Amino acid sequence: MLRGTFANSFTVVKFIFRRERIVTTAWILALVLFTMGVAPAMANMFPDMASRSQFAASFNNPIMIAMMGPIYGADNYTAGAMYGGMMLLWYAMAVAIMNIFFVVRHTRADEQAGRVEVVRSLPTGRLANLNATMISALIINVVLGLLTGLGLAVLGIEDMGFAGSMAYGAATAAIGLVFASIAALFSQITSNASGATGLSFVSIGVFYMIRAAGDMQGNEIISCISPLGLVLRTQAYVQNNIWPSLVLFATAIVISAVAYKLNSIRDLGQGFVAARPGRATASPLLKSSFGLTWRLLRNMLIIWAVVMFILGASYATVIGDISSFIGDSPEYMEVIGVPVDQLAALSEADQAKLIVDSFGTFVTLMMTIVAIVPLINAIMKLRSEERDGRAENVLTRAVRRCRYMSGFVILAYVFSVIIQFLTASGLYVVATSVAGDANPFTYTGLLQAFFAFLPALWVMIGFTVLVVGLLPKATTIVWAYFGVVAFTSFMGRLVMPDWMLNITPLHFVSQPQPMQDFVIDYTPLIIMTGIAAVLTAIGIISYSKRDMITS
Amino acid sequence: MSNYTLEITNLTKKFGKFTALDNVNATLEKGEVLGYIGPNGAGKTTTIRVMLGILKATSGGAKVFGMDSWRDAVEIHKKIAYVPGDVTLWPNMTGGEVIDLFVALRGKHDKERRKKLLEMFDLDPTKKCRTYSKGNRQKVALIAAFASDAELFILDEPTSGLDPLMGHHFQQCVLEQKNLGKSVLLSSHIMSEVEQLCDQVCIIKNGKIVDTGTLDSLRHLTRVNMKIETVKPIENLATLEGVHDVIEERGEVDFKVDYLNVGAVVEYIAKYGVKKLESAPPTLEELFMSHYDTKGV
Ligand SMILES: Nc1ncnc2c1ncn2[C@@H]1O[C@H](COP(=O)(O)OP(=O)(O)O)[C@@H](O)[C@H]1O
Ligand SMILES: [Mg+2]
Repeated sequence: MLRGTFANSFTVVKFIFRRERIVTTAWILALVLFTMGVAPAMANMFPDMASRSQFAASFNNPIMIAMMGPIYGADNYTAGAMYGGMMLLWYAMAVAIMNIFFVVRHTRADEQAGRVEVVRSLPTGRLANLNATMISALIINVVLGLLTGLGLAVLGIEDMGFAGSMAYGAATAAIGLVFASIAALFSQITSNASGATGLSFVSIGVFYMIRAAGDMQGNEIISCISPLGLVLRTQAYVQNNIWPSLVLFATAIVISAVAYKLNSIRDLGQGFVAARPGRATASPLLKSSFGLTWRLLRNMLIIWAVVMFILGASYATVIGDISSFIGDSPEYMEVIGVPVDQLAALSEADQAKLIVDSFGTFVTLMMTIVAIVPLINAIMKLRSEERDGRAENVLTRAVRRCRYMSGFVILAYVFSVIIQFLTASGLYVVATSVAGDANPFTYTGLLQAFFAFLPALWVMIGFTVLVVGLLPKATTIVWAYFGVVAFTSFMGRLVMPDWMLNITPLHFVSQPQPMQDFVIDYTPLIIMTGIAAVLTAIGIISYSKRDMITS
Repeated sequence: MSNYTLEITNLTKKFGKFTALDNVNATLEKGEVLGYIGPNGAGKTTTIRVMLGILKATSGGAKVFGMDSWRDAVEIHKKIAYVPGDVTLWPNMTGGEVIDLFVALRGKHDKERRKKLLEMFDLDPTKKCRTYSKGNRQKVALIAAFASDAELFILDEPTSGLDPLMGHHFQQCVLEQKNLGKSVLLSSHIMSEVEQLCDQVCIIKNGKIVDTGTLDSLRHLTRVNMKIETVKPIENLATLEGVHDVIEERGEVDFKVDYLNVGAVVEYIAKYGVKKLESAPPTLEELFMSHYDTKGV
């Protein structure tokens, strides 16, 4: 009976690997290469014990511990202790995301698309599909863990030996399996793929917060309830505990068993939570072209608004110690663009002020780069609606093309203002609560700094509108351009040729100094606003004059 | 100004070098139902998309209610209800929300009608569109179309995902609109549906109109099915001009005759002592096949 239930699982495993040969390979390569790139970079940035200890000290406050996890091995803060402490949590979450996508793709998503039905109609067991997915997940996570561990070990960084690297790798594999099993469980419970993915992501968030609460209070039990807290107890490169990985592995098996059980007692295509019936009629808000646009973009925009506020807030947590933290590291100063040559001539207080100003500039720039993403997304939604044939639902009714497109464009422009406002506010609120009177930023200064970037954001919106209107088949250009803009803004001062800086709108915003003495040069801002308006207008006109392209 | 509801003149549409529509001409008078038939890839959907101003004609064009289909698209859309062949909806909106949105984007709202149609097509409006099958998505589009007060219904293979009962309800809806004096363009694969509903038929193949007219007039251009039984066996029947597909079985002979040759053939077989003669006009299906059997354009 048991054999019948799982019959031909391995045939399905082979099939899964055939389908996964690109996506999962890319994930694993990206994760391992990221690891092998960041570890030496971090070791280089903090070459000696003194710099590392100071870094540890600056992180030794409840907010940072809540964010990053506890600091292990602080009294002998080796490069390994630092890497394990700073990276494992984030790496674990990236691995979790890979696993969630992988498992949902092969269970609930396949079931929803009717592919599982085909597999079932073959001489395969009732649980063969789920079983094959979990076997594949096991193989993938073990491979990923091994490659991560070996990759770290072969780097030969001092104090990052074989044992620690392998502990790090084992923890990676174990946490990956836990989230694979969680995704498998939610794939049984909900009846659609987006629900399963969504709930699994929520579980990452919840476990992150449980861990944060436990770590902040130093309550080990609470921390260890969360797999994300447990995984940190590996103390890679410090204690190299293996028990957290074993407990995680056992947890994964238990959760998987529950998922198997649920799968075996339910009908194909069904879930345990019946899909909630939705509204039978449309709310008055929805009954217009603009209402539809808002509905389509609403969730994405709200999530991004929250993310940007938190991002602003998270940068602000380091504000108290920032000048000493950065001032002691020439590498940091270079990255954030402190004018080092001017530093020596200044008094100590002015030095600190310049460093904080430069940090503020840097943060504003980074946040603004991130803020470009939802704005591009909002406009690109037009294109995916067109490609999937949904735009026609609107445009074959009494709605003008320019009116339809303008809905998306207006939302993007309005949202650019909101997002800059929220990021600045997040930064200010948290900086004040962390540093109190020592908060070097004023609210108006921050708002000015962030709003100064608006015309640059508008150029990005305008460019996207232009491409969607004029070159609908070549919208990847937009992301390529975004890549160039992000990269030149980040590294531009150091390495980029002038012509590249000159096609980067962010480059023309006067370097904002969010404290006093901040003078905005309005000329480039006015020119950029004009450029944005022209690009947008050409884009909308072209969109009104071309074929709708559904491919 | 013409008084055609729809008038397509010398319409050509190219996608790059590929000619999807080649000099297409067609008309639809007010109150008529026009069947637009042709095999997959013939250009039916492309014609409809030009009529709706989604695609721009390469040359020639379409006039709807006497207005230019590209320039006056929005004015035209106010009086049109359209059901696409491949209905794509927003996965996280319910069917009820989508119907209301669609109706609202055109104009007036008739609650009673909406309710009646929902019952007729047996659609649960509280389900998210991602859970709908192809047939259910088509129902959403059909309900939105028939719930709106349109002058012209453009239906692109609207029943390809429906079961026969729903197909029947669909025909009721079309006849109801026809009786109200509304015009319908029905692109379809289902011949019985076209035979039941359409006054005029237009056959398209490889982007060219190959035949057009009333069903009867089209039949005149094609072959008649004959089934005969004679006292003496007929000699050389297959060699007569216009005779095709001769099959002998238990003394009965089945064959087809080109419409123009019927008289001559009947005269010829009379010599053999006719015991039984049945003849039937070609079904639309055969008519359709006769265009596609032959090789070449
Ligand atoms: N956007 C497009 N680009 C290129 N070729 C297209 C496009 N749309 C349709 N075609 C081609 O035009 C021809 C007619 O297609 P279509 O009108 O969809 O046929 P039908 O609806 O009669 O099945 C097909 O060969 C199709 O491949
Ligand atoms: Mg078609």
